[in-house]
Order: sequence, then C-alpha cells, then structure tokens
Amino acid sequence: MLSDILYVLIRLLVLPGFTFLLACALLFQWIDRRTIARLQARVGPPWYQPLADLVKLLTKESILPAEADLPICTALPLVSLAAVLTAAVYVPVGGHTTYSFEGDLIVVLFLLSLPALFYFLAGWVSVGVYSVVGGSRSLLQYFSYEVPFLMALSAPAILTGSWSISRIVGQQATATWTVFVQPLGFLLALVGLIGKLKRVPFDIPKAKSEVVGGPLTEFSGRKLALWHLTVDIQTVVGVFLLVNMFLGGSDLGPLSSLPLAGLMDALGFGLKALVMLLTLSVTSVLYARLRIDQLADLGWRVLAPLGMLQLAVTMLIGAV
Amino acid sequence: MTRVTIPIGPQHPLLKEPLSFMLTAEGERVVDSVLRLGYVHRGIERLAEERSWVQNVHLLERVCGICSHIHTTTYCQGVEALLELEVPPRAQMIRTLMCELERIHSHLLWLGVLAENVGFTTIFMYSWRDREMVLDIMEDLSGGRIAHAVNIIGGVRIDPDAEQLDSIRRGLDKLQQQVDTLLDVVQHERSLRVRTQHVGRTTKELVRRHCVVGPVARAVGIDEDIRRDAPYAAYDRLSFKVITESGGDVWATALVRVRETSESLSLCHQILDQLDPGDVATRAGRRVPAGEVVSRAEAPRGEVIYYIRSAGTDKPARLKIRTPTLPALSLLGEQLRDIKLADVPVVLSGVDLCIACADR
Repeated sequence: MLSDILYVLIRLLVLPGFTFLLACALLFQWIDRRTIARLQARVGPPWYQPLADLVKLLTKESILPAEADLPICTALPLVSLAAVLTAAVYVPVGGHTTYSFEGDLIVVLFLLSLPALFYFLAGWVSVGVYSVVGGSRSLLQYFSYEVPFLMALSAPAILTGSWSISRIVGQQATATWTVFVQPLGFLLALVGLIGKLKRVPFDIPKAKSEVVGGPLTEFSGRKLALWHLTVDIQTVVGVFLLVNMFLGGSDLGPLSSLPLAGLMDALGFGLKALVMLLTLSVTSVLYARLRIDQLADLGWRVLAPLGMLQLAVTMLIGAV
Repeated sequence: MTRVTIPIGPQHPLLKEPLSFMLTAEGERVVDSVLRLGYVHRGIERLAEERSWVQNVHLLERVCGICSHIHTTTYCQGVEALLELEVPPRAQMIRTLMCELERIHSHLLWLGVLAENVGFTTIFMYSWRDREMVLDIMEDLSGGRIAHAVNIIGGVRIDPDAEQLDSIRRGLDKLQQQVDTLLDVVQHERSLRVRTQHVGRTTKELVRRHCVVGPVARAVGIDEDIRRDAPYAAYDRLSFKVITESGGDVWATALVRVRETSESLSLCHQILDQLDPGDVATRAGRRVPAGEVVSRAEAPRGEVIYYIRSAGTDKPARLKIRTPTLPALSLLGEQLRDIKLADVPVVLSGVDLCIACADR
C-alpha cells in the first residue's frame, strides 16, 4: 500500500513527472536559444543560463499596478502551470504512459489550450494599456490557430479509431507513422503549435516593438517566472504530443527489436523530440512577425480549410 | 468603439532614442497621434557660439552618433568657404571616403532596426554583424568607431598608407557580398515584404509639402541628391547613380537604402583607386573673416544644411543646423493616422529618425 503511494508520487514528482519536465523544459530552452543564436551568427547562452534566469526571476520582487486584481494575477500563472503539468501526465514519454484512458487526447488538448485563455485574462486584469491590447491580440490569435490545430490532431485519432494517445502510438508501431499517412495534418499541427507557443512568426501578442511585453508587461518576479516556465513546459508537452501523434512515439521501426529495448525507446523518443525542437528553432529564425489580421487570414483562409480537407480525406478512407 | 491612448515613448522598446508619440487608438486602429520632442536637446547651437572655430569641430561631431562625420564635413566646408581656403584634393577624397563609409554604416544600422521592429531578428543580427566591418574600417582609419574626429578646418587629420588602403579594399569586397545577400533578402523574403509593402505609403505631393529629403523622397521617385546636384568634397570627380524607387512605401525606402549601400561601396573603391598623393591639410587662421555662408551636404538621411555667420572673431556669431529628421517628423504626423497599431513600428522605421540630430 505504502509502496503504491510512493510509486505514484515518484511518477508524478520525479519521472516522468515534474522534475523530469522541468529538466526537459530547461534543456529544450537552452537548445532552442543556442540553435537560434548559432543561426543568427551569435554565440548563445551557456547550458545553465535557463536555470539561472529562472532562479533569478524567482528571487526578484513581484510588483503589480495598484489597480490590478492581485489574487487573480497570482492565481493565473499557477493555474496555467498546473494545467500544462497535468496535460503532461497523460502524454506518453519514451513508450511509458503514466495515466491513460479512452479520451485522454481530448483532455490533453483542453489542458494545453487553457494557458492561452489565462494569458488573455492576465492582460485583462493587470490593466496596463499594452497588456489589454496584447490580451485581445492573444485571444484573436487563439481563434486563428486553435481550430486547425484541433482538426490536425483529430485526424490521427479518427484514423486509429481511438481517442487515447497511447493507443494511437501503439497503432503506429504496427502500421506506419502517421506523418507518412497525413503529412498535411502534421504540418498543420506544427503551425498550430508555433501559434500556441507564440513563437516567430506568430509572436504577435507579445510583439516587443508594438505592445512592449503584451499581456505580461506588468508582471514581474515570481509570477513572471511561472509564466515563462509555463511556456517552457508547454513547449515540451507540445513537442512530446506531436512526436506521439505523428512520429510514432518511441518506435524506431526495425531497430526497435534490438536488445536493450528500454534504452532504445528512450533514445528514439529523445531523437524525435530533438528533431521537432530543432524544426521549431529553425522556423523561428526564418520569418518576420505577421500582423494579427494577416494571421487571421492565414488561419481561416488557408489552415482551417486544409484541416477540413485532411479530416474529410481521413474519414473517407476510414469509410471505405 | 472606445478610444485608448497608447504611449510610445519616451521609453519604449521600439525607440532607440527618446521621443514621445501619444497614439489614440480604436482597438488595433490608430486614429491620431501627438508628438513631443526635445528629450535630447543639448543646446548645441548656442554652445557653438561660445566656442572657437576649432573647438566647434569636436562639438558638432557630437550632434549625432550615426552621422557624426557629415556634420563636421558640412561645418568645415562652410568655414573653409568663409576663409577662402583651398582644401588639398587628397583631403577632399579622404573626407568623401569617410562620408560614404558612414552612409554604409548608417544604412546597415537602419536595416537592422527595421528588421527588429518587424520581429525579424535574424536580419537584424546579420546586418549589424556586417555593419561591424565598416566600423572596423573606420576605426582602422581614424581610431574611432563612432566619433572619428577626421575633419579639421582646412583638411583632414588622417593620412592612410598603402597597407591600410589594401586592408580597406579587402574589407569592402567582403562587405559587398554581404550587402548583395541583404538586398536579395529585402527583395524576395516574403514575410518581410508583407509587413513593409503598402505600409507607410507617401506621395510626391506629401513629401514636397513637408520638405522631406533623402531616401524617403527618393523612394517616391524624387530624383534629388546633393552629392550630384551640388557636388561638394570630391563628388564631382566620382561617378555614381542616384537610386530612386516609385512605390513610396517602407519597402521602397528599404530598397533605396540597400541599393545606395551598394553604390557607396563602389564609390569607396573609386576613391581608393583615385586617391591623389599630397598634403592632407592646409593651415587655417584662428580668426574667420566676417560674412555668412550656407553649407550643404547629403547625410545618410538626406540633405543637411549649416548656416554659419562670422563677425570676424575667433567664434561663430551664429550657427544654425537643419537636419533631415525634422521634416520627416512632420510627415510622420500624417502617416500615423488611420493605420494599424502593428504598422506603427514599420512606419516609424521607414523614415529613419535621428532624434539626436533633430533635437541637437
């Protein structure tokens, strides 16, 4: 009984829970910053910089405008962080699933989209003029990328006939990786993820030269640190989710039958996650920021119809 | 829709120098703006009346951090005209060389600022990295990266040897490749184009009404350049094209500036090839005969005018500076009306403000 509780606690807090996610988040952030720096002819930060930044921000004083709603401003980053951490529990890592049930994909997608709403709220309740403009932008952006993102991630579920992530992963090991069947869906999911993480060219809500810091302009200290951590862990969970849904999880094809299966699983999963992360980094070097109306155009005129096309094709194939 | 006032400046990530715009916005649409200036006013024109002609060269170099050399050039030319001094051809050439290097440095800096303002960090990093090459050349020539102190009344202070000229040539060749790449990016990169094309559009009439000069004027097709129209220094002995575009939007000004950079590089090569031997300065007297003069030069941002009056003493009686940024600011008042909030940084970058020049 006690060992059961201990086991659950370890899974939640250490591996693959909070500590593992935190380590991944810092590592991913470092790889991301370093890659971008190298591509931009800069040196980039040393490996411990993300941790140093986090610790520094955590120890700084937190100041908010007098008109801001203090309890809500305190709660928002905490709830956002909790949402993405909870989402992580249902995403298999390296072939290991902490918790799984039929329909966990929907829960994960819901939990991953919560921070976007809290981000908007953060802008609204912290009352700065840049915060409010940034907040309304983030909401508009949410409606542009979220629909294609959801459609793209529904397609593999419909193909498999299951809304459980681990089943979708399992199915890919026996058949083929979803990315080969639904390349369009994969691209849409990638674009959606970039929008979700507010990376270039979709960093519209926090465009420095337009709205200073966006919804987080008035945040500082511990609260800001938690917001940053939320985005970092969201990056990790997003990348893991895409690896599971489209790249076959830890499956390495014929290599999976080699000895040391556990190690190979971890290696395969890590490699794929790294490739995804590098794709994100390279993309953010290549573009200028779009304007919010241009993003809305892109979302509704291009991405959403393509998502529908992907869904329709998947359903047709399923019906035949 | 409710109106909100969005302050841009005097402290804002968009601005590199203090300036304040109070934007009135309805949602994402900017309907009006109020400008405030004077945050970097240092009273330089008044200070100049208290210093000797020679000291003023160093004072005026500090009007601006980007086009420091053009200010001293314009000033020295004016004073030399009053003194009726004949400046040696070698000195004229070296002056022109510094002017062109400065233009390259200023335009690359501008491209970086534009790129950063539209969120294109990569081009920002690249153009500022390439700008380092020009700064290195200028440091090699004069000992200063930003304030070069090259001009003196009657000529220049520096006399580069053959070895220096060779190293400059090598630097310029390397830079030419980079500038070609940047031109390619500005011409063809789609996300940069959708952010700058049809944004901040001006017309010939508008430019004329506000007396706007320089690349912004050339981007609407006004074919004007003091270097060609009223040659000073050694420009009458060099050949170059005056770059014009017809679009009038920020993209057109970007094309004008990057092409001008290429043109400046070719000018530098011509200067290095034709550099005459001889003295680099003639002696100038301490007192300047009474009289007045207007001296003009083409700064990276357009025409700079100096009005200098001497009462026959060792100090100017009056010195008036007119820089190209002031008319550009008055044009901005028209441009920052009925545009999207996201276009404000682009429009502001388009006119290439130099607040320190405007405030003095």
